[in-house]
Amino acid sequence: MDQLTLEVLWNRLVSVVNEQAAALMRTSFTSIVREAGDLSAGVFDRRGRMIAQAVTGTPGHINSMATCMGHFLTRYPVDSLRPGDVLITNDPWKTASQLNDITVVTPVFRGARCVGFFGNCCHALDIGGRGLSADSREVFEEGLFIPVMKLYEAGQPVQPVLDLLAANVRTPDEVLGDLHSQIVGNAVGAKQLLAFLEEFGLEDIEALSDSIVARSERAMRDRIAALPDGTHSYALTVDGFDAPIRIETRVTIAGDTITVDYTGSSGPVPRGINVTLNYTTAYTTYGIKCAVSPDIPNNEGSFRPVTVTAPPDTILNAQFPAAVGGRHLVGHFLPSAVFGALAEALPDRVLAPGADGLWDTQIFGEDPDTGERFTYVWFASGGAGARADQDGLSATAFPSGIAGVPAEVIETLSPIVLHSRELRQDSGGPGRFRGGLGQSMRLTVRGDRPFVFSGLYERLRHPAPGLLGGRPGATGALRTRPDTVVIPPKLRTPVPAGTEVTLDLPGGGGTGDPRTRPAETVLEDVHQGYVSLEAAKRDYGVVIDPETLTVRADATAALRRA
Amino acid sequence: MAVRIGADIGGTFTDLVLVDDGGDRFGFGKVLTTPDAPDRAVEAGVAELLHDENLDGSAVSHVVHGTTLFTNALIERKGARTALITTAGFRDAIEIGREHRADMYDLGMARPVPLAPRHLRFEVSERVLADGSILQSLDDAEVIELIAKLRAAGVQAVAVCLLHSYRNPVHERRIGTLLQDHAPELACSLSCDVVPELREYDRSSTTLANVYVQHLAERYLGRLRQRLDARSVTGPLYVMQSNGGVCTVDTAARLPIRLIESGPAAGALAAAHYGRLIGCSDLLSFDMGGTTAKLCVIEGGAPLIAPAFEVDRQDRFKKGSGLPVKVPVIDMIEIGAGGGSLARIDGLGRLTVGPESAGATPGPVCYGRGGTEPSVTDADLVLGCLDPRFFLGGRMHLDREAAAAAIAERIGRPLGLDAVAAAWGIHQLVNENMASAARIHAVERGREVGRFALFAFGGAGPVHAYRVAKILRCPRVVYPLGAGVMSAVGFLTAPLALDFVRSRPDHLEALDWDTANTLIAAMEDEGRAVLRRTVPDAQIGFRRFADLRYRRQGFELRTSVPAGRLGADAAGPIRAAFERQYAAVYGHTLPDLGIDVVNWRVIAEGPVPNLKLPTPTTSATGASDSAEPATKGHRALYLPEVGGFAEVPVIDRYSLTPGTRFSGPAVVEERESTVVLGPAARVTVDEGLNLLADLDHG
Repeated sequence: MDQLTLEVLWNRLVSVVNEQAAALMRTSFTSIVREAGDLSAGVFDRRGRMIAQAVTGTPGHINSMATCMGHFLTRYPVDSLRPGDVLITNDPWKTASQLNDITVVTPVFRGARCVGFFGNCCHALDIGGRGLSADSREVFEEGLFIPVMKLYEAGQPVQPVLDLLAANVRTPDEVLGDLHSQIVGNAVGAKQLLAFLEEFGLEDIEALSDSIVARSERAMRDRIAALPDGTHSYALTVDGFDAPIRIETRVTIAGDTITVDYTGSSGPVPRGINVTLNYTTAYTTYGIKCAVSPDIPNNEGSFRPVTVTAPPDTILNAQFPAAVGGRHLVGHFLPSAVFGALAEALPDRVLAPGADGLWDTQIFGEDPDTGERFTYVWFASGGAGARADQDGLSATAFPSGIAGVPAEVIETLSPIVLHSRELRQDSGGPGRFRGGLGQSMRLTVRGDRPFVFSGLYERLRHPAPGLLGGRPGATGALRTRPDTVVIPPKLRTPVPAGTEVTLDLPGGGGTGDPRTRPAETVLEDVHQGYVSLEAAKRDYGVVIDPETLTVRADATAALRRA
Repeated sequence: MAVRIGADIGGTFTDLVLVDDGGDRFGFGKVLTTPDAPDRAVEAGVAELLHDENLDGSAVSHVVHGTTLFTNALIERKGARTALITTAGFRDAIEIGREHRADMYDLGMARPVPLAPRHLRFEVSERVLADGSILQSLDDAEVIELIAKLRAAGVQAVAVCLLHSYRNPVHERRIGTLLQDHAPELACSLSCDVVPELREYDRSSTTLANVYVQHLAERYLGRLRQRLDARSVTGPLYVMQSNGGVCTVDTAARLPIRLIESGPAAGALAAAHYGRLIGCSDLLSFDMGGTTAKLCVIEGGAPLIAPAFEVDRQDRFKKGSGLPVKVPVIDMIEIGAGGGSLARIDGLGRLTVGPESAGATPGPVCYGRGGTEPSVTDADLVLGCLDPRFFLGGRMHLDREAAAAAIAERIGRPLGLDAVAAAWGIHQLVNENMASAARIHAVERGREVGRFALFAFGGAGPVHAYRVAKILRCPRVVYPLGAGVMSAVGFLTAPLALDFVRSRPDHLEALDWDTANTLIAAMEDEGRAVLRRTVPDAQIGFRRFADLRYRRQGFELRTSVPAGRLGADAAGPIRAAFERQYAAVYGHTLPDLGIDVVNWRVIAEGPVPNLKLPTPTTSATGASDSAEPATKGHRALYLPEVGGFAEVPVIDRYSLTPGTRFSGPAVVEERESTVVLGPAARVTVDEGLNLLADLDHG
């Protein structure tokens, strides 16, 4: 295949998967898919190799979907499939490591021959069980487990599967509605792929996929080969449940390959924060991609030169039937673990660790206006880590791509009242480049009834470390008034009426020695209130006159020399 | 005779169009834009046009005008020193924003920077709840103290955005009054006036952007008014809004944020208008210029409208990287694909085209002004799409050899191709990029792009439209005459229109209809009061809408609401209208779910102006259906169908007469552009001398 033809075909294929994703999002019934973009979509060749992927989603979905097709083809070999078949699974060990994430795969037929597959993965609003939480001891408590099976057979829905699903979830309309959208998205992709084959006179995409895979793999190998060989280690600690969890990372760059190994990391825990290997791989390769190859398209070829390993006795390769519902409480930290290891070799290509784990708040109670039960869930983010040449982003999701929710929306949809939402002064880790600031949210629930609070929060005890001489960001906190009410993170806790709860989200780590941050920049941070006068002196060695708000040069020089 | 004038201030030229009230006499003018004081060019252009047409200023019934002045002020951050006042505890909402990243893999990405820095964001103790009830009252003394602080900080403009003010604006209004009393020199915008809708981040971002350019707008429009008066043009001055309606200078000075996207909007409006007149009301307008291509879906004769857009993107073509502005705007997509887009080989050894552009200087290699990197125009020239001796009607000569050498060296060599094959690669890739953007834009809006006719304008649009339409399988391409002044014509097609919105979330089944009627009546009264100054009462019309959604959904659909007083019996028809629309978009309805009304909206508008198509001054006579076009020669055009160059006829656009028919391949040359037609085109010349090319997709 000549080079220009390849490019035109490749471009067109990317356009087809973006159409697939657009159709899916547009028809979705849930804001988690439509607004937060918690989905992925891609096209696979006959051999199950992912060739192109839509520009959407969050890493946990994107990279785990890339490897899922093999499992589908093991259960249903390509020649056993018929036109009109649609396959489904939510097996955490085969897809996105959580029962809520449902993958739907549609084979595409040209005449009687399967010429490829469209697949997508979406976060279902509910999957039964305890609801999205980390409380469970085994995956059986976490909801309905759907093995790889047929959802449609020769164009007809497999009704018993749909009935079983509807009977097991709290919100059947939305869950079945989104499944429908997943099927529609694949169908749109299939229609465009067939038109594409027709237009270019192709039998299938096998030759094209060979070229795409080979080209991407070669580009990735060239990129890695340009890096210095070596092995780099890093250890990151997060709060975990009862005991801290240690993530031991060894990144080996050897020739044109990278191996990331998590041997020595903490073992699995009897709670729902275990991670399956495919999710570990997904977030690890995401970190590698950000640092090494942000511009190389995601497909089978670009994944090949990277190997991710974790022994089965670690929390990062949890075995069935471990509970995995809150796997992001550990998995979201893996890009930082990778960056920490690579910092030595590639200091200008990484971020310092940040808040990393998304803060997921659920409140259950009674609406004082209607007397009805309410459940409200939202996500919020702390500060991201500093870059080698820029400050970290404040209150910004990383590595997930999930958006926050305005106070007015929260208050319109629930009896929750937010009394403040502000950036946390001094929460960004000091450094030549400062970590991003976390945010504080202070809230109450209207009415005179108690409520149940469940916060899947991390970094309350272990701050985001700095990198390259930078210092840690602030830890998170969960405060209450009166402070006699104690709400532990990651557990459902009954709370008396009238209690005020404040979430302090963690800040990101800094990079570089804070004493080398230009005094004028520190002054500007003080001027804007990102850094206090005291912290300017204590952390940055910059003495600022509180009256005139100017830098006292002599005192600063003396302090910075000391 | 009364005439109307449209004036479009572009980056380089200010285009003017004059039309008489019957809509069939046209005059065109073009003057250089005067960036330091754009009103000067408008005055000069108007004077020139009136002189050419031998008319007095008093003959002008009104002037419609559009400008990118305020957009530029926002992008260049040259607006007022602006402060924000928020509810206590929320001054950072504008900085926290949506907490997301516009690019998933770019660790170096930046987030949009708020127009008010943190030290100019102030809080007042007060609190309104979601139902409009007051949890904590506002204290005047605290506000007065704050006003002193604003003055001490040297602030020139103030945006006020308090929580739930869309529901109960009493505190915002009180602050507005106190500001007026104690600091009348400050420009002030209240969020309940600018965008009374739920979601504090978007509302405060929009209010800030509005007040940031308010002084600028007031001063500029005042100066323009004076200049027109000085030329005896005393009729009303109207300003084009981003949603395709026009408003009065008063409204424009108060709500300049509504004007931001008016330039591109006018192009789409003109396309819609042409489409209606030629009986083709479903179009994809395709405007390809020097640096970007803009695409817009026009359906049923009207462009699609989006409820919001972004300004000052950190990355111009990346969704989510800019400041949100929640005002209605003609819904178009802009991609980095134009004549000047540069072709390069990326890190993977792949050919890429754009978004970087050669711009006007140095421009493409073939301009001979120092450009060294090959661009789309260079490829078009090598392929024979452009005539090196007839660019811009012969006003500029292009260097084909230099273009071919640059393409061979920078693109051909790394890819192992000769100059022609590499040029075809560039041409094809930019077409693929535009087609891909069009397809996704359409599918995101639930439209099938293949059923739309492509409406091609802009300098490079007619060069590329045929191949883009082939990729999209569009049945027809329309090449309008006078594509060069499309925007200025668009200004004159728009009715005077104002739109209003009130946020009032409520259950449809148990709605407080008295309140709804009061809100709607207030919006209609407000609209009538403004329009009455220029439109007779009998010609003022109202359209009403409600934004509805199934309970607990996140996004609304805009649904028409019947006229007259609403009561409980209106719920049924409103629900039915919503469900029809929902089914059309999403394929099915959810009969068991309750429906919420989120916003009420009113559009108050005057009559649609008369406007025919600009026709040539020499009326074509003696045309017959069998007329053959007069060719001015032949030239070699690259045709992938034959795998190389073929001699094709070159037709002079200005020699074509209505009814002429011909087939591709052919090249039709006009001053501003070149129509390039492949072998599948069957062309008819219509009454207005537009070319209608029907495509056979085999």
